[in-house]
Amino acid sequence: MGLTDLMSMAKPTDESRKKVLAKLKSKGFLNCFQCMKCTSGCTALKLLELKPHEIEKLVNFGFVDELVASDIIWTCATCLKCVERCPQKASPYHVIVALRNMAVEREAKIPEAFMKAVSQILETGLAEAPQKVTTRKMKTCDRDSLKLPKICAPKESFQTIFFKALEER
Amino acid sequence: MPKIGVYVCHCGLNIAGVVDVEKVTEYARQLPNVAVARHYAYMCSDPGQRMIQEDVKKRKLDRVVIATCSPRMHEETFRKAVAEAGLNPYLLEIVNLREHVSWAHTHEPEKATEKAMALVRMGVARAKLLEPLEKRKVKAEKSVLVVGGGIAGIQASLDLADAGFKVYLVEKAPSIGGRMAQLDKTFPTLDCSACILTPKMVDVAKHPNVTLLTNSEVTGVKGFVGNYEVTVIKNPRYVDEAKCVGCELCVKVCPVKVPDLFNEKLGQTRAVCIYSSHAVPKVAIINPNSCLRLKTKNKDVCGKCIQACDAKAIDFDQQPETISLKVGGVVVAVGSEVFDASKMPEFGYGRFKNVISNIEFERISDASGPTSGKILSPETGKPPKALAFIQCVGSRDKRFHEYCCRVGCMVALKQAILAREKIGEDVSIYVCYIDLRSFGKGYEEFYNRARDLDIEFVAGVPSEIHRASDGTLYFDVFEKGTNKLLEMRADLVVLANGLIPSNDVARVNELFHASRSADGFLLEAHPKLRPLESSTAGIFLAGACQGPKDIPDTVAQASGAAAKAVDLLSSGEIELEPLKAVVDEDLCSGCRVCESVCPFVGVEMKPEVVEGKEQLRAEIVEAMCQGCGVCCSACPTGAIKMRHFTDEQVLAQVVAACTEAEAKGGS
Repeated sequence: MGLTDLMSMAKPTDESRKKVLAKLKSKGFLNCFQCMKCTSGCTALKLLELKPHEIEKLVNFGFVDELVASDIIWTCATCLKCVERCPQKASPYHVIVALRNMAVEREAKIPEAFMKAVSQILETGLAEAPQKVTTRKMKTCDRDSLKLPKICAPKESFQTIFFKALEER
Repeated sequence: MPKIGVYVCHCGLNIAGVVDVEKVTEYARQLPNVAVARHYAYMCSDPGQRMIQEDVKKRKLDRVVIATCSPRMHEETFRKAVAEAGLNPYLLEIVNLREHVSWAHTHEPEKATEKAMALVRMGVARAKLLEPLEKRKVKAEKSVLVVGGGIAGIQASLDLADAGFKVYLVEKAPSIGGRMAQLDKTFPTLDCSACILTPKMVDVAKHPNVTLLTNSEVTGVKGFVGNYEVTVIKNPRYVDEAKCVGCELCVKVCPVKVPDLFNEKLGQTRAVCIYSSHAVPKVAIINPNSCLRLKTKNKDVCGKCIQACDAKAIDFDQQPETISLKVGGVVVAVGSEVFDASKMPEFGYGRFKNVISNIEFERISDASGPTSGKILSPETGKPPKALAFIQCVGSRDKRFHEYCCRVGCMVALKQAILAREKIGEDVSIYVCYIDLRSFGKGYEEFYNRARDLDIEFVAGVPSEIHRASDGTLYFDVFEKGTNKLLEMRADLVVLANGLIPSNDVARVNELFHASRSADGFLLEAHPKLRPLESSTAGIFLAGACQGPKDIPDTVAQASGAAAKAVDLLSSGEIELEPLKAVVDEDLCSGCRVCESVCPFVGVEMKPEVVEGKEQLRAEIVEAMCQGCGVCCSACPTGAIKMRHFTDEQVLAQVVAACTEAEAKGGS
C-alpha cells in the first residue's frame, strides 16, 4: 500500500513524519505548493545541491529516514531567504532544523566540517577562527602583521555559559 | 390543542448515514401534541412535499416540524409547500439535522442520534407556540442606481434600461469604461478591447433611460429596498459638458504637464485633458490640483485654455453639485484594483524601470497608449530581445492575498502571444509559472496556441531579480521539468499582478451595509445559490467587486444582477418578510439602546406626550428591519419582541433542551 521510491525501494514512514511534525509544532511550515521559489534563491543550491522544495515534499510524503541519514540537511546556510519569501508561509529552514535534531537523536553521522564549526564555536565562541592568508605576492600575513586589533572572544569559558543557557531553556 | 406533524428527512445518506432516522421518528411520535411522525429519503422532493401536504389536509395538522438540512437551504421550499396545503407558512419549524448534527458528528452516530432527538424535542416545543404571520407589501421605485461604469456597470445599465427601468449610472472617473478600456486585446479570442467596449459605452450614454453621472460619487444612502434615497456629488470638471465638443484645443495650449493616469503614468498629459481617446463623455476636464489658476486661486493666472476654446466651454466657477435620487435597487459594480508589486521588494518593481506590471504592459501594447502600440522597454525605448513573465505576484501568496487572481495566467498568455505577433521571431519569451490555470471556455486552446508560437514555459519562479550595470535583468529559477537551476537574462520583465479589492469596496460596505468576505471583496448572499445579491435586500453585485473576474464572467454576472433587479422591482411592489421586531409602547422607556445597536438604521425615536411630559418612544421602520434580533436582546425593559422568535418560543426550546420530562409534560 501507499508509495514506494523505486530508485531506493524506500517506503514512507509515518512515524518519522509525525516526529518531524511534533518538532515543528506548526504544520504550516510544511504547507508547500511547490513553486520552487525557495530553491531558485537557495544559497546552498549551486555548490551543495540543497533543494529546499524537495525536502518539503519528501517530508510531506513521509520519506524522512533517508533525509535524516543524508548529508544534504547539513548544507543549509540558514540565510532564511526561503522563510522570508515563501508565498505559502511554509519554512524549509524549520524543517531542516527539525531533521538535524532528529539526526543527532539517532546518532547519525554528521559531516566533519559541520562538527568542526560546532566545536570551534564551543571552544572560542567564534564561528570562524582568525586565519593566516597568502597574498598574490606570496607574502603571508595575519592580523598581527597587518596591525589589526585582536578579535574579542567571550572571556569566560563560552562552553560553560552556553550549556548553562541550554539547560535553562 | 395543536396537532403537530414531524417529518424526518434522510437527505440520502447525508443525515441517515449517521443519525438513526427511524429511532428519531419513533421518538418524535410519542412527544406531546404530535399527531403524526414520518421519515423519508428526500423530504424536499415532490413525493416528500406531497406527503406533508396530504397529512396537513387529511389529518388537519396545524403545525409542521421538518427535521432536515439548514433552514437557509430549504425553509422557503417547505413554507411554500405547507402554504399550498392551506397552512400559514410561519407555522412551520425547521430542525437542522444535517449541518448541526450529521455533518458535525460524523464519527459519533449514537451521540448524534441523541442530539437529533433533543433538537426534534426542542422543535416540537417551539412549534406549539408559533403564531401565524402575514407578509406585507410596499411600493417600490422602478429605477436602479448602478455604481461604477466599468464593463459590469455598463452591461447592467444597458440590460436594465432595455427592460424599461430608469437607470442612474454613477462613475467616479471622468469617463466610463473602467479597467477594460485600458486593455489592448482580450483573451481568448484576441478581439480588441476598445472595439467591443466603445460601442457599449456610447450606447449606454445615449440610452433614453440612462442618466450618466461621471466624475461623481455616491455619498449617502437612506431608505430601504424598493425605496432608497441616494445622494450623489457631481464634482466640477470646470468644463461645461453641454458646450465642450472634445476638440482638444485646450489640451494643446495647457502649459502644465501631469502623469497620465489612464496610461498608468507611463506617459504625460496636461492639467486640462480628455481622459482617454475613446472617453465617454468626450469632454475635457481640468485637474484642480495641477491647473495653475485653480491651484493658486488667482483669476489672473494663465487662462490659456479659455482663449483657445472656441465653444466657450471652460468654466472656472463650477461648484460641486449635489444630486438626490430615488431608486428601488442598487447594482454595485465598483470593480477591483491591481496589486502594487513594490510591496514585494525581491522583484524590483518600482526600482527597475524595465520591471513592469501586466496592466502597464497593456498600455504599452495598446495603439492608443504612450508608445502607439509598439512594445518597447521603458528602460531602453527599444523592443525587448528577451521577455519574461512572472506569475502569481501578490496573489496565491499568504503574505498578501491568499486567493488566485483568476486572470493572471490568461493575461500572461495573451501578452506573450501579442509580443510574439508584434515583435516577431527575434524575441525570446518565457513564462515563469507555479501552476498554469486555463480553466475557461476556449482557454486551454489558447494555451496551446501560445506553445505553438514558441513561447517557453518555465515551471518555477525566481526568488529575486537583479539588474546588471547595462540595465539587463537577470535571475535564477529552478525549473521543475529539467530539475535544473537556470539563469535567465531578460530586458523586460512583466509581473502578473493580481486583482485586489479596491478602496471603494470599503466605502460600499459603509454606505450600503453590504458585507465583505475574508478576502476583502464584497460578500454574496450565498456562494452558490445567491451569487448576484448582497446580504442587504435590494443591493446587487456585479463584476470584480465581488471577487476577481475576467470579462466573460463579469458580463455574465452583470446581466444576472440586472435580471435580479428587474425581478425584484418589475411589479412595482415588494413583499416584506414579517419576521420583524415590534415595540411594546407601554414598556419602552425611550433609552435609545435599540437605536444605537441596530445595524440597519431600522429604529426611529419618536417623541410622544405622556401625562403632559414629552417622552421618546422607539419605533421600528418595518421596511428597514432585517429581523436580526439585536435590538430585542439589547432592550433593557424587554419592550422589543422579535416576531417568530418571541421569548416564549425561544424559552420553550431552552426548557425542552434541558429537561426531557418537562417537554413531555405538555402545557
